Amino acid sequence: MTALSTPGTIRSRRGIMFVDRMMRAARPFGVAIGYLWVTLIYIPIVWLAVMSVSSRPLTGVPYPLSLEWYDSLFSGDLRWLPPLERSLILGIIVSVLCMIAATMVGRVLPQLRRRGGLLAAFLAPLFVPALVTGVSMFMFYRALIGLKLGDWSLILAHFVWAFPFALLAMLVVSSRFDIRMSEAASDLGATNWQRFWQIEVPLLRPGIIASGFFGFLLSFNELPLSIYMRAGQMTLPLHLWAESTAHQSSIPLIYGMSTLVTFVSIIIVVVALRLLFFRKEQQ
Amino acid sequence: MVFLNPFPRLRRLAARGGFIAPFTIVWVLGVLVPVLGVVVFSFFDSRGVKFIFEPTLYAYESTFSHAGWQVLLRSVRITATVTVIELIVAYPFALWLAKSARSPLLKLVTFAALTVPFFLSPASRTIVWRVILGKNGLINTILLELSIISEPLDWLLFSEPAVHFGFFGPYFPNMVWPLFLSITLIDDEIIEASRDLGGGRFHTFWHVILPLSLPGIVAGVIFTFVPMMGDTVVPQTVGGGAVLMLSSEINSLFSVLNYPVAAAVSALALILVAVFQLLMVLVLRRTGGIAHVFEGLRR
Repeated sequence: MTALSTPGTIRSRRGIMFVDRMMRAARPFGVAIGYLWVTLIYIPIVWLAVMSVSSRPLTGVPYPLSLEWYDSLFSGDLRWLPPLERSLILGIIVSVLCMIAATMVGRVLPQLRRRGGLLAAFLAPLFVPALVTGVSMFMFYRALIGLKLGDWSLILAHFVWAFPFALLAMLVVSSRFDIRMSEAASDLGATNWQRFWQIEVPLLRPGIIASGFFGFLLSFNELPLSIYMRAGQMTLPLHLWAESTAHQSSIPLIYGMSTLVTFVSIIIVVVALRLLFFRKEQQ
Repeated sequence: MVFLNPFPRLRRLAARGGFIAPFTIVWVLGVLVPVLGVVVFSFFDSRGVKFIFEPTLYAYESTFSHAGWQVLLRSVRITATVTVIELIVAYPFALWLAKSARSPLLKLVTFAALTVPFFLSPASRTIVWRVILGKNGLINTILLELSIISEPLDWLLFSEPAVHFGFFGPYFPNMVWPLFLSITLIDDEIIEASRDLGGGRFHTFWHVILPLSLPGIVAGVIFTFVPMMGDTVVPQTVGGGAVLMLSSEINSLFSVLNYPVAAAVSALALILVAVFQLLMVLVLRRTGGIAHVFEGLRR
């Protein structure tokens, strides 16, 4: 057995066995720490919900319970309504754009021979800090070209942020797509349009819908790019961010509204993931 | 049908490549060029919102003589530390998830738990740390009630340890996913072969699993380090004014309309991140490249 150990590794057999036993013993700890880190993601989400029904949320203590924040959210100050409306509209526009663009690109990309470079170009926003993307795009469009920022620039920024994710969601489906299906359709006399609409779209549907969901959510919750790519408009995340960094925080808004938004988002993601990955297991 | 199809060549192109070519051109000119353009802007001065196109090093002189440089260094230091910690925590977890976890339900729940956060608003879930970690917050209240401490701990919030801690959760999935995908791609038979040939756990790990998962390590480090550098929410929420990172620096530069220095700081961050990724990819050259990780999506 010792003959197997290559130069540069632990030579002694006893040493190897000791390290092996250590690794075996350490595995449960590794898993436990991993799950501890997962709970670090969810502690604030759960505590956000708990605080939204606490009468003194700023103390971090849940009791006494109360629904007064939800009550005042809907009956009191309704300043959150216009930002919510804007975020919904932007989200829907970005979602549609993502569906179209991800379908256009995603259905072709897996068939191209030199796809590495293209894929890298489309995923580039993932490799640049969002802050830098926001600052750069602001300077290019506002300072260099001299355009007035507005809803169009928010849509552009959200699209830039969401498209890589939408494309990845599409590629999950389209890279499993059997090209022979659409070739068979052509051989049987289908026009290009029929081939696209009757063969490809139904097969790619889970990817299209998932990229739409992801596009909506990423736009709806986008903050870092929106900070730079707007002209005074408020989206819901900007509004929440402005309120929560202000010194006198608007409690109903931050806790009540954020809780509602977070839980609706979770439901949408779970639905999208089911669409993307459950079919695969059935096949 | 003829008049609907006046350009047969265009149509053939569309059938083959769809509209990928025009879209790519728009994407490159509208997104990639502006992002790289910030490096160019950093060599000009500005008046109001307009740049004056005479090359100058004013922005860089200002960055290096003021706090900008230190803020950038601090961002790199904190981001790098957290990235290393994430890697150490995520690797055993991803290895277990990819090769040892047996319960399909547990795996499904874990996958969902690691995917959902990408699509949630970072601001609303981070702000809650303030009431948990704050001076009059939950942790201090509990510790005071239990008489473990006599005065509230003030380093739990608005401090560097707090910022590190605040990054742990949000960036964990970024590290786990690439690692998981690359470890899944390692054939079980290769691992078994190593065991059959007498390789122990450590041996198999060091000579088989670790080298084969190198693309995942590189991708994980990139996907954790890069977005963390540009994080707006955690430093300002958990760090407050006590820990200034890139986002606070750029925000304050923007608020005084100092675009050249904002461009210089952004350009430095961009170049730093680009060089870092280039080095990582060069390290990978032998083992097959980042694209390898995306192959995992096909499974």
